[in-house]
Amino acid sequence: MTDRSAVRSLDDPNVFVEMPATIYDAVPPYPPRTEREAEFYHLRDGEMLINLGPQHPSTHGVLRVVLKIDGEQVVDLDPVLGYLHRGVEKICENGDWHHAISNCDPLEYVASMFSEAMPVMAAEKLLDLRVPRRAEYIRVLCWELNRIASHGLFIGWLALDLGGLTPLLYGFIERDTIIEMLAALTGQRMLFNYLRIGGVNRDLNHDFLSRLADWMSRAAVEIEQEARLLNENEIFLRRTKGLGVLDRDTALRLCMTGPPLRASGVPYDVRRAHPYSVYNELEFDIPTREEGDSYARYMVHLDEIRESIRIIDQVLHEMPDGPIMAKIPRLIRIPPGRAYIALESPRGQYSCYAMSDGSDQPFRLRIHDPSYFNLQAVGALMPGNLIADTMAVMASLDPIMGGIDK
Amino acid sequence: MDTQLKRRLETAFGDRFSAPLRQRADTTEIWIGAGDVTDVMRTLHDDEQFEFEVLSDICGVDTGTEMWVVYHLWSPRSPDWLRVVAAGLPRDDPRVPSVTFLWKGAEWGEREAYDMFGIVFEGNRDLRRIYMPPDYTSFPLRKDFLLPDDAARSPGEGFRHVEQSPPPAEHRRRPVVRRAKLAPGGQVSTVGQLPDQTEEAPE
Repeated sequence: MTDRSAVRSLDDPNVFVEMPATIYDAVPPYPPRTEREAEFYHLRDGEMLINLGPQHPSTHGVLRVVLKIDGEQVVDLDPVLGYLHRGVEKICENGDWHHAISNCDPLEYVASMFSEAMPVMAAEKLLDLRVPRRAEYIRVLCWELNRIASHGLFIGWLALDLGGLTPLLYGFIERDTIIEMLAALTGQRMLFNYLRIGGVNRDLNHDFLSRLADWMSRAAVEIEQEARLLNENEIFLRRTKGLGVLDRDTALRLCMTGPPLRASGVPYDVRRAHPYSVYNELEFDIPTREEGDSYARYMVHLDEIRESIRIIDQVLHEMPDGPIMAKIPRLIRIPPGRAYIALESPRGQYSCYAMSDGSDQPFRLRIHDPSYFNLQAVGALMPGNLIADTMAVMASLDPIMGGIDK
Repeated sequence: MDTQLKRRLETAFGDRFSAPLRQRADTTEIWIGAGDVTDVMRTLHDDEQFEFEVLSDICGVDTGTEMWVVYHLWSPRSPDWLRVVAAGLPRDDPRVPSVTFLWKGAEWGEREAYDMFGIVFEGNRDLRRIYMPPDYTSFPLRKDFLLPDDAARSPGEGFRHVEQSPPPAEHRRRPVVRRAKLAPGGQVSTVGQLPDQTEEAPE
């Protein structure tokens, strides 16, 4: 029998707890569930726990981190997720394939052109569908624009977490130009809902192209200006160089992808490692660095912006004519099967494992989010650093909570 | 399709496949039992003829009759994705060895699969819920966990989810949704199921 004096859990009326779990206590009100949790919440002499978040501005969303500190030094930390959990995978299973596009949109709310591509590409692979070449080129154009917008914002955020406000404003100027441009194309500023199974929603229009041409004429110069703001800044260098160092092997074993992995010297980029769309027709390099610290991650982002501009240039020169949608019926029943697709988002590899049972709904839509696996690395990066550097290192991993919490 | 990879895989693990190796588009798929996961994954990761160093994804699947754990691997030696399916886990007690000894980063992937499906990864040091609150008891991505108030397909009767255990007496008057029926193929069909308002909870 349950104890009547206990409190009924808010989350499950069948469960009675001594004290409901709150977000304010660093120490959880229940006995440790695992070996690791027992070890973490056991304090040695001089150690204490402090709670960071879930609504601290430097956590880039609602992430809560319990820090175990000794003086100013971080000994260990335990990220607590789930404050933004919506159950996107379950919702996708309960809607049809077209709903999945708009359901996946807000996962990566800074660059949603990537997250909405997942169900689209998975469905196309299950259907064995050939997307018209013009649609593929438009997709690549949108992806690379969105990548630049996201990377620009990353640089600003990183500087903001180190105490500098100006780069963030520059980042937002860049981002706003691109976002307005994409809004002219898609009709939305943030959650575009632009890709469709078999193509894209609308063809390129004059408004978009004139904004793009205007921006392309000065993009390269502006990026260099923005880079000059930080690259040789004494404070910035001191607070990023040699901090949060990850070597090649550790980064691979931590299942990291994207810029944090490439900053550790692994040239793994899905666009080259496993080409999708028309990336194998385009010429670009995969920037890598050997140092594996916060500064290397910043530099990789910067180099990727330059590569993206190069890709956009080629795409605009080689944009083919033709239809933007494959000929498929509006109501699709996807043949039974399993498909796995991956794409390179600004944060790393977004991938999707889709199962279809022949109905109009996905049977299972597994979404692999890069920020989720990259964030895991803070546990390996933090110990030994100062509390103030926690934010800087976390920002250099560029987590997006919308995708982490799904 | 990488036929060389197929040959190498069949030579190395041919006797352990629980279903024949399949190749479609750019994916090679092998099926093994839960008991072989440790050995197979270690060989795939360490052996220089495979060198699958990137664990691209790890996830759980509930087919309605059994559970799977699906791994996707990438190697610089093959143009294909390799999908390793550990199939045939019983739904009432799915257990599979952890791969955290090869990829430390699989820890959170396994925590998520535990949280959503209740799959126990033996050897994972930190197997606790990651998204849902600690006092939560259900596994939301299982096929018998239905969403009756999903906005896409029902007017919404205002209750959150169907418990796996019968609700206590004071909650008895809530409508209960019938369990998902198994289609002949062994998969749960949830298409077109709406909450049955007349049915009372079982005693």
